[in-house]
Amino acid sequence: MADQIYNAIFIGSIYALFALGFTLVFSVLDILNLAHPALFTLGAFTALFAMQQGVPAPLAVVLAFTVCGLAGIALDRVAFAPLRRRNAPPLSAMISSVGVSLIVIRLIQLKYGPDLQSYPRGSLPAAVFSLGGLQLDTLRAVIIGLAIALMLGLTYLVRRTRLGRELRALAENPRAARLLGIDVDRAIAATFFLSAGLGGVAGALYGFATNSPYSQMGLNFELKAFSVMIVGGMGSIPGAVLGAYLLSFGEIASLAYLPSELRDAFAFGLLFVVLLIRPSGILGQRAVDRV
Amino acid sequence: MHEGIRPMWAALVALALTVTACGGTSTTGGATSASPAASLAKADIKVGVVISLTGVANVYGPTQKNGVELAAQRINDAGGANGAKLVLVIEDDQSTPDGGVTAFRKLVSQDRVAAILGPTLSGTAVAAHPVAQSAQTPTIAISNTGDGIVGKCAYGACDYIFRASLGESAAIPETVKTVKAKLNLKSVVLMYAQDDKFSSDGFAIFKKSLDAQGITIKKEIAFSKNDVDLSGAVTQALAENPDAIVDTSLAGPAINILKEVFKRKPGLPVIGGNGFNTPAIIASAGAAAEGAISGTAWFLGNTDPVNKDFVAAYKAKYNTDPDQFAAQSFSGLYILLDALKRTPTPNSVLHDKLRDQLELTTGVKTPLGEFSFTKDHDVSQKIYVVQIKGGQFTLIN
Repeated sequence: MADQIYNAIFIGSIYALFALGFTLVFSVLDILNLAHPALFTLGAFTALFAMQQGVPAPLAVVLAFTVCGLAGIALDRVAFAPLRRRNAPPLSAMISSVGVSLIVIRLIQLKYGPDLQSYPRGSLPAAVFSLGGLQLDTLRAVIIGLAIALMLGLTYLVRRTRLGRELRALAENPRAARLLGIDVDRAIAATFFLSAGLGGVAGALYGFATNSPYSQMGLNFELKAFSVMIVGGMGSIPGAVLGAYLLSFGEIASLAYLPSELRDAFAFGLLFVVLLIRPSGILGQRAVDRV
Repeated sequence: MHEGIRPMWAALVALALTVTACGGTSTTGGATSASPAASLAKADIKVGVVISLTGVANVYGPTQKNGVELAAQRINDAGGANGAKLVLVIEDDQSTPDGGVTAFRKLVSQDRVAAILGPTLSGTAVAAHPVAQSAQTPTIAISNTGDGIVGKCAYGACDYIFRASLGESAAIPETVKTVKAKLNLKSVVLMYAQDDKFSSDGFAIFKKSLDAQGITIKKEIAFSKNDVDLSGAVTQALAENPDAIVDTSLAGPAINILKEVFKRKPGLPVIGGNGFNTPAIIASAGAAAEGAISGTAWFLGNTDPVNKDFVAAYKAKYNTDPDQFAAQSFSGLYILLDALKRTPTPNSVLHDKLRDQLELTTGVKTPLGEFSFTKDHDVSQKIYVVQIKGGQFTLIN
């Protein structure tokens, strides 16, 4: 039982970490960034590349954050900014993000091929320890801790800092934000940097946990992150985190008490019930109150 | 430019040989080259190869290409098929049935090849093989492991189709038999990816084989090939206290399962299907891969001299170890060569003669071991049950 709760917390943390960046861009800019899975993959491979050059794992995670963050800004400049200037509907932005996603994944495949890769031998902590009858490994414990820290950090940043206030103003009304003297371009760049950077960190950590990164790894998360975001309340950051844990606990509970073939049906059924009760999601609010 | 000249040279040499033979100075090759047909035998023999170089199966195509190209090079360096050079015509099937059909059509109508190897995927094969069958072009499947490829085919007669790739329905029963004897297995938990055809087929075969051997299946656990983590499923499996865990998935989920089992119950045997037979398992799961068992048509560490020779040559040419797909495509061309050597004028229209000779294939020495075709045109070779020990696949049967 304790084992399974730990498993659910781990899986939920990974879902949440992925969904955070996804949600951030949506909440501020109303863009569904379908290149997020590709940035996630890019994070895992940035860490792989760095570690193959002898960079230690913690530093590789920092690198993954930076590289993906910058890639996020580039993504905005190439795929979203031109559409924004022409007042294109949100659907166009979605399509151009799909295009970027395909390109990034293809580039990774050109360098690494479609096969499973592995991080250099001995570069990841492998220790297993017991805690009150639980068999824990350092890597997963660190991942859970880091995921929770990042979620809290992002919430703090959005709620309490100057940048956060700017982001919220931008989310509410870009025109008004500009009139108030907010540097909108800078705020948008910051949003993409944070979102993509978080995606990159999530990718690197998940890559470590499986030690088998591959070019399509991000795609497995897309549907789940999307569901988690809707159930949490489109654009609500704490909502996405709650949704992530709800899904992971639902999956584990059905595995423990129901035939395993029904797991996804149960877990997604649970999310559906939540939406029936609260159609705008657990923490969903009117658009103006978002973030 | 010189591509065009080569057949001309071959024809000239053949002509010279014929003249010498007719002139009465006896040479060993002279007796057979006395007929005009024999001079044709010295012309190149075109062999079609249809593999997935793009699309979902592009993991397999490139190593298949390496394997078959290495075989062609070695065969031609050693004098080809009775002096005739083998020329490969390699086509990409794009991992799709349509791509396979297009490639097969081109090979039979435009290139008029003597025989075809491929295509990569079973799903493509059942669409493309009928093209070869109706053109009566002998075809050897070099990587299809599904049912209905040879023997009884859903599309009708398939007497021109052969298979050199061991099916899971042959490998798994051998694996189960071996582990039962070696590990004294009484009960297992059976795990599989329910949305993956390879894994769910393997699940059905394992279930039948385990039942046949009287091993209890304590629980069946389905998961998804897209699952991001399987710790929950493994926890459920371990709660049943089985003697071993059987997992029929491909390498990705298998790595996850091996790592979880190793963490919670180190030493518990994990048994798998052909998805386990990749170096990626050892590289990614590390110590957690130790002890994993699976049945296979080929393994890298096989010390048989033919295999050692193949592995060394492959490594010298491509600077990496071959995999099973490379070994099977390499072997496929040698199996074809063996039949070509026994076939008169194999490059002309005598496809039926080549087919007859393929049917007589017995004991061809390949990296897979001594290879024969059954009367159903299917694989007859040793099945290797291997266990990962010290980071290497090691034979245990």
